[in-house]
Amino acid sequence: MKRAWLAVVLLLVGCGVRPSGVVDGGDPPTGVAPGVTLYFVNARGELEPQLRETSRLGSISEALSLLLTGPGTSSLHSEIADTPAPRVTVVTSSQVIRLVLPLTVQEVTPLGIDQIVCTALGVHVQSGGARTMKVQARFTQPAAESDVERTCPLITTGG
Amino acid sequence: MTGRWRPRGLRSRLVVAFVLVTVSGAGAAAWSSAGSASAALVTSGEQRLAETVTGQIAAVAPGLTYPPDQDAVERLRVAVGPDTVVTYRDLASADGPDRTTAELRAAVRTGQRLVTQRITADGTAWLLVGTPVMITAVDGTRTPSGIEVYTARDLTSVEQQIDGMARAAALTAGLALPLAVLLALLAAASVLRPVRDLRDTARRLAAGDMAARSQPQGVDELADLTVTVNEMAESVQASMAAMQRMQVDARRFVADVSHELRTPLSTLTAVVEVLGMSADGMQADARESAELAIVETQRLVRLVEDLMEVSRFDAGTAALRIEDVDVAVAVRDCLRARRWLDQVDVDTPAALRARLDRRRLDVVVANLVGNALRHGAPPVRVAVQAVGGQVSIEVTDSGPGLPDHVLPHVFDRFYKADAARTRTPGSGLGLAIAQENAKLHGGGITATNRSGGGARFVVRLPAGERG
Repeated sequence: MKRAWLAVVLLLVGCGVRPSGVVDGGDPPTGVAPGVTLYFVNARGELEPQLRETSRLGSISEALSLLLTGPGTSSLHSEIADTPAPRVTVVTSSQVIRLVLPLTVQEVTPLGIDQIVCTALGVHVQSGGARTMKVQARFTQPAAESDVERTCPLITTGG
Repeated sequence: MTGRWRPRGLRSRLVVAFVLVTVSGAGAAAWSSAGSASAALVTSGEQRLAETVTGQIAAVAPGLTYPPDQDAVERLRVAVGPDTVVTYRDLASADGPDRTTAELRAAVRTGQRLVTQRITADGTAWLLVGTPVMITAVDGTRTPSGIEVYTARDLTSVEQQIDGMARAAALTAGLALPLAVLLALLAAASVLRPVRDLRDTARRLAAGDMAARSQPQGVDELADLTVTVNEMAESVQASMAAMQRMQVDARRFVADVSHELRTPLSTLTAVVEVLGMSADGMQADARESAELAIVETQRLVRLVEDLMEVSRFDAGTAALRIEDVDVAVAVRDCLRARRWLDQVDVDTPAALRARLDRRRLDVVVANLVGNALRHGAPPVRVAVQAVGGQVSIEVTDSGPGLPDHVLPHVFDRFYKADAARTRTPGSGLGLAIAQENAKLHGGGITATNRSGGGARFVVRLPAGERG
């Protein structure tokens, strides 16, 4: 009778944490990269990615600063006007990346806005973010374009 | 508690069964719920830890140089926390003992997925998390970077939570115990009360109280049983009453018949006596018929007298007339009156006084000695002696004795030892009447066989207070 009780107690106490086999725990983390991808415009007037070998991915803000400083010595050009202070504030929420640009809407062409959106979204995806993310580019002066939630034509959500 | 103990009573068996069922049920329920809860707890804990590790790596990964140098590997290791190993090709950064198992490492290399494994080391439960760090292209394709992170996370807090739940489950099962005992006692009482009532009724019935009945309660099996027992008692009572009535009728019939026969018989006796007196002058064959008629009439008279005597015993109207009797003298008088003294050896003390019914003593001795003379063989012996507070009269003969199958029936009425010899002078009631007389005195007669052959009848009568 005593042994039976002991067995019951052991059974109750013995169901703690026991060793297990190897179990899948989900997607591995990501975010390392040999450099950052910036988007410029080629001679045919199309967006073209350019890998800037910074030896690390860096943040969206850093990528945009690099973008605003221009393509350097290359066949590509930028459709964003030069700015003395190429500093961009980035606020990421669950649905949208909000960029506060040191530019007015007149200083950027629509292709230039795509340059900014694609560069920001590219860093977001490479950091492990979702490709369905929207980007909102806000300009220094009030404009209707500031409230548009954009996607990059080169980074499609499908594939 | 040696394990050999078994509950005997219905109550203890019920209680033990009830308690076992309840406690094992409560225990099983508590155990299974604690088991599933602890499994959920472990799973969610593991998931949370894996997500934390993923988040920690993802937070610093964009800032790491790639391909990493030793400094980058160290930074990643510090970001993930203690008990972590970070490797990249030949580079490695370790903190604390490397608990990584070979199978975990193999799973990380081949699967390129984040994997976890629970192990126990140094008496503590650990969750091992192993993951490669991936490079994601702008188009979303992922390739391994070659950086691998292995970290061990302490599961003690989860284990403590689980132990707490197990203790609570055991406590729940334990709390069910007194409740189960209480319920079992109540259930046992409700079952046992009708059983006890039934037992009392059965005892009263066995003791002769034919009117004893139990009141059935409810409509369960025990109530059915009670009704059945009541019906049984009813039918037994009815048949016993019928039997008693029939017995009384039969006895009354015998008494009436013998009484009715007495008057014509006394006339017949008178006629036969006259016939006997004139027999000397008859022809030889006529005289023989007359003598036969006289003998048979005397036999008939004796039979009717014996029947009336038996009827009186049956009716309970036989009365004792106690007086001071010298048993030795009474026995000799009895034998002398029947002219048996020369056929019987008598061994009596000089005087043996007792308080008895003289007439009934005479009947007893006469019937026993007459029986011995008729069925046994001489020498017939009568021995009278005082044994304790009793008078013992022993009648023995030297014949073949009583056959074994006769012995139990020797005092039955009209029992004939030899079916072929029905025409004996006795009525067939002698020994029965002797036994009834002895019993009326509070004594009795026993019949046995002597070791050397011959039957032995021993009468024992209480001597009563003397003088």
